[in-house]
Amino acid sequence: MAKGESPLKQFEIQPIVDINFLGFDISFTNSALWMTITTAFILIFFTVPFLKAKKTNSVSDLYPTRMQVAAELGFNFINSLLADTVGKEGKKYFPLVFTLFMFILFGNLFGMIPYSFTFTSHIIVTLALAMGVFIFVTVLGFVKHGVKFFSFFVIPGLPIYMLPLLIPIEIISYLSRPISLSVRLFANMLAGHTLLKVFAGFVSALGFFGILPLVFIIALTGLEILIAFLQAYVFAILTCLYINDALHLH
Amino acid sequence: MPQLEQVEFFISQLFWLGVFFVVLFSVLTYITLPKIRAFLNQRDDFVKSHISKQDDLIKKAESIIENYETKLNEAKNEASKLISDAKDKALQDSESLIKSTEEKIQREIKITEERVAKEKDLAISELKDQLKDSATNFISKVTKIEKGNINI
Repeated sequence: MAKGESPLKQFEIQPIVDINFLGFDISFTNSALWMTITTAFILIFFTVPFLKAKKTNSVSDLYPTRMQVAAELGFNFINSLLADTVGKEGKKYFPLVFTLFMFILFGNLFGMIPYSFTFTSHIIVTLALAMGVFIFVTVLGFVKHGVKFFSFFVIPGLPIYMLPLLIPIEIISYLSRPISLSVRLFANMLAGHTLLKVFAGFVSALGFFGILPLVFIIALTGLEILIAFLQAYVFAILTCLYINDALHLH
Repeated sequence: MPQLEQVEFFISQLFWLGVFFVVLFSVLTYITLPKIRAFLNQRDDFVKSHISKQDDLIKKAESIIENYETKLNEAKNEASKLISDAKDKALQDSESLIKSTEEKIQREIKITEERVAKEKDLAISELKDQLKDSATNFISKVTKIEKGNINI
């Protein structure tokens, strides 16, 4: 970071190829570039090890390659996450949760590479993902239960006179789901990267004593990698819980 | 904050997000995930079939051991029976042999005794006759009586 540059400069969108389609500016930006890299990486990471994977015909075929083990780990992680929160019916929504988790996870992780760009640090991106989840689970609830879906806002076993107070609260909490889901991810990414940049600025400003913030940002980078995973996990598990709510209401 | 200031790039970000998310979702849903799932299922089936095969083999081995043991026991019983039979028979044979030998000896003793008695009788009667003869002779010589008239 050059002196005097804002720590927020890292979040600036820079167009790489200007594209104008029907009057809309859909330029290929650094954000789109890292989405491309993330998508390509996920597809290669999970597809390539299984392209050559032999059928298991003998005991010696039981030893998977390293890449295969890594891919299976991701697969089984989301599989058990969905099985634990939604149950057997959750299998249908496996590709959605898997895509969301991997897209956010690798978006976050690639954002940790110096000079890269974190597309999950943009509220418009996280809000779009969260709105997508929100609209999906709401439509799912109406498809599964029809008008009965509104009973979701009525907590069972509550005295009647409490309902006028609690139904609006339930509705507000339901409607705030996409906001909390998107802001949580966006704010974590924003805060982490900003903090890293601020302390990185101290390294050059403090001269010899810059070693102290340097040690700090090394530790902080580790924490940020943890948060990158954790936020993807939180996004995925909340999506699972919302799907579960839509399927089973209460 | 560029996130809220660069509004002109909102459409671009949403567009590319949509494109890549849809691409990723479709490829994962229709190619990658079914491939992984099929592979894992196939491997699980293989492992399961191997485990059941192994169970079968263990059962087979156990039945073979059981079979072997019963046969061994049968053979042992038969062998001990044969041995005891043979012992009994040998004992019986020797007893009967002893018995018959004793009987034979007794019989021979009896026969010998009878013969001895008979010969004794014969000897005595012969002695008697000889004595009679010599007495007759003596008397006839002394008395001059015809031998035929003398009756002792």
